[in-house]
Amino acid sequence: MESTLLSISNWLITSAFFILLVALVPLSMSIRNEKKKFEKTAIIMTAIAFVMQISYFILRWVATGHAPVSNMYEFIATFSIMLILGYLITYHYYKTKVLGLFAIPVSLLLIAYGSLFSTDVNPLIPALQSNWLAIHVITVSISYGILSMSAVAGLIYLLKAIPENEKSWRARILEMIMAGIVIVLVYIGTTLVMKGAVGYSDEFMYTSQRGEAMIAEYHLPSLINYADAIPVEHIGDNQYEPADHFHTGINLPPVINSQSLNTVIWSIILGLIVYGVLRLIMRKRLMALVKPLANRADLNLMDEIGYRSVIIGFPLFALGGIFFAAIWAQIAWSRFWGWDPKETWAFITFMFYTVFLHLRLNRGYEGEKSAWLAVIGFILILFNLIAINLIVAGLHSYA
Amino acid sequence: MNPPGTQLCQSCGKMINSDYDKKKIKDLMRYDGSAIRSKTRSRSIFDKIWIFFTSIKVGVAIILIIAIASSIGTIFPQEYFIPVGADPLQYYTENYGTPGRLYYELGFHNLYSSWWFIILIGMLALSLIAASIDRGVPLFKSLKNQRAKKHPTFYKRQRLNLQQANTKNTERVIEGFRKKGYKVKEDQNHYLLEKGRLSRWGPYINHTGLIILLFGSMLRFFPGMYVDELIYITEGDTVQVPETDGQYYVENNEFIVDIYEEEGTVFDATVQNTNETIVSNYQTDMTFYENQNVDVVGAPPDLEVVEDYSLQVNHPYQFEQFELYQSSYDNSQMKSMTFQLEDSNGETVGDRFTVALDNLESTYEVGEGLAVEVRAYAPDFLEIDENGALISETPTPVNPAFVFEVTDDTSSELSLLQIMSSTDITQGNEYSVKFVENENHWATVLTLKKDLTLPLIATGFVIFLIGLFIGSYINHRRIWINDENGFNISAHTNKNYFGLKKEINPVLEDNGYGEIFDRDAQDFDKGVIIVEGK
Repeated sequence: MESTLLSISNWLITSAFFILLVALVPLSMSIRNEKKKFEKTAIIMTAIAFVMQISYFILRWVATGHAPVSNMYEFIATFSIMLILGYLITYHYYKTKVLGLFAIPVSLLLIAYGSLFSTDVNPLIPALQSNWLAIHVITVSISYGILSMSAVAGLIYLLKAIPENEKSWRARILEMIMAGIVIVLVYIGTTLVMKGAVGYSDEFMYTSQRGEAMIAEYHLPSLINYADAIPVEHIGDNQYEPADHFHTGINLPPVINSQSLNTVIWSIILGLIVYGVLRLIMRKRLMALVKPLANRADLNLMDEIGYRSVIIGFPLFALGGIFFAAIWAQIAWSRFWGWDPKETWAFITFMFYTVFLHLRLNRGYEGEKSAWLAVIGFILILFNLIAINLIVAGLHSYA
Repeated sequence: MNPPGTQLCQSCGKMINSDYDKKKIKDLMRYDGSAIRSKTRSRSIFDKIWIFFTSIKVGVAIILIIAIASSIGTIFPQEYFIPVGADPLQYYTENYGTPGRLYYELGFHNLYSSWWFIILIGMLALSLIAASIDRGVPLFKSLKNQRAKKHPTFYKRQRLNLQQANTKNTERVIEGFRKKGYKVKEDQNHYLLEKGRLSRWGPYINHTGLIILLFGSMLRFFPGMYVDELIYITEGDTVQVPETDGQYYVENNEFIVDIYEEEGTVFDATVQNTNETIVSNYQTDMTFYENQNVDVVGAPPDLEVVEDYSLQVNHPYQFEQFELYQSSYDNSQMKSMTFQLEDSNGETVGDRFTVALDNLESTYEVGEGLAVEVRAYAPDFLEIDENGALISETPTPVNPAFVFEVTDDTSSELSLLQIMSSTDITQGNEYSVKFVENENHWATVLTLKKDLTLPLIATGFVIFLIGLFIGSYINHRRIWINDENGFNISAHTNKNYFGLKKEINPVLEDNGYGEIFDRDAQDFDKGVIIVEGK
């Protein structure tokens, strides 16, 4: 029974992914076409996909008995679903199509990235066995979804406001964001190809910081490895024997997650190659490619959305990410605040958005300045959602 | 009546300072044109300090510095996350090399309790207090003394404005807004319609909440407000709860660790695939006692059971102002060791015998006429002193060593035994004592917590949240209407002009007026504009 629900739930989220992908076609056509039918089709498809994603969430919850927000894949999936929610809410108020053309791809990119982690359901460790898990994480992801709209609106604003050929820092930094998106795309592509299609897998045995023998499974050739790592092969039943795998011999202490770093380095190298090739073919900046879409947007409306989504998302974040989090931390860990890395970065995100609001309300940071701040805010959210769990081993590293 | 620095006349809304930038509409309306203290007085030292802390620039700088400093604290773990008892300097150097050593030397290992971090928080508190009073008081005054009558220039300067000749439907327009929840103030044929003024208090409410919160967290430094202790209880033991003057005792009946196993659930695949065990439950079955003799000096404790409780993670046990939490466990300490006697051919002789480390017997009979006597014991063996006695480094049984004397009918011989090795003390021993297995103690580690600052901190944060939601989710909307020289309407909101227009236009339309004019919106219809802040 439960496993059937689980397969239905997995089918739902996969199908929703493709529906959203297809919905981009009528959505982009609606921008040039005055007729309402393309817009209507696109929004209905997006709404259907969202309902399917929510059904995924509910069915997975029923199947496992706990809210599906307990590992990396589930966090990121929830975040990407809330992004779609954020867009639908924004559409309801402002009827903006351009925002969707950027928000939906961001959501798709996120869920594709998330699905590279293990998508298995896992049982809850004692610290997570609490109703606060659902309350805390769901509130935080709704707030993230809404706050993300401010960044998407900000990005559109910048793409429209900054001339593509301008020799300035603002244009270069915006182009760097484009390159970053290419790197993420290449990362997803390479991992899918090497892990899924090719099945590349090199195992290395190393000693963890706690002195335990660990196995690292490399899906890309090892450029960077753990100190004293030995290439090994699994011969079944948790037994390993020495083997011969490619490695450069560059080894780092176990404090650093060399396996992740290796993937990051590969993604950057390959991503920059792809970016370079694209630049050579296009003979102009990558932002020139998406600029025509952004040019359709109304700058004042983007600024308004950028501000309002912060004003609505920020109190929710304070409620879910700080207050509910503190209540749960008091119950589970006996202290409401402990400067654990994830807590600290939630605090930093919180402080950043207070700066955003103070600068906007009191020092007239509107338009482009506000757009930059919104984009930085989104980067902070992503950093706290993903990087902190991968880099720093704190109390929150459940993935 | 108006202090120097006031920009708008509070009764008519006309500009007072002629040199003021007339294109500005935003700054002007922020405190409703009234003077704020930091902009009007700057003579004394107090004024200068006041100006410093009321400055938004300074406030934002403090927030940014705190945020950046906090991020430094996450580069390496803070001291309280490193293993208990480890030497910090050694730990940071060994694990993180030179950067780790530098991190420690600079004091970043205790960043959040360092004097400079606390000073930053203190400055934030001062900034919150000063800025709130500086702006809140004049804003309160001017909103309280609002008049319906405004000068024609006031109308023109608002972002939303419309002038039409037809004055017949003024009453109906007013009525339309009244239905939408506006309060109407009338002065001859001047009207002020207002709703959501509460929104303007949002920032001041949330700042007050934060000040209460910061004050509450300072209280922790006062004795008696805060207790945070670990209680270590071996299975079967009863210990006094610290900080309660011997009034309460807690017994660890059993400590339980449950793990997930394959049992036909959806988790089977995960449980099967992972190399590590996944713990499903940490639990201490405890009995909580109250000492009836607590007031009798020198009397032995007379324990009365208060309650049996299964203490789990996420389910703390409460008593008085204290809470007990399942924190961790320890099974590194040996409870007993089992040995077996062998002869010189390696054949086992006699029965196995088990030495309970916290309850040593002097002699263990292992067979007919065969006995093992414990001559010396060290729980944490360091060395043998000159007299042949065993010296222990610590009293905890982590590396036990024994001197055994084996006696049979004919002779007796001595040997020194540790977990891994056995050394003959007498020459040409016939028997050797072999270590077979050991059993460890299971001890639970509980956290005892008392935090009387919690109610204040929670109240502070709840007030903060209420203020934040009020300020963010409610819009303060004001509409001024007069029909002195034609129908004249203008409107102002602290945010979301989009929503305000959506509220005003239907009312105007229903009564035969056109759409309200938006000074900001006209610009972007012409094409790309970049709104640069100042």
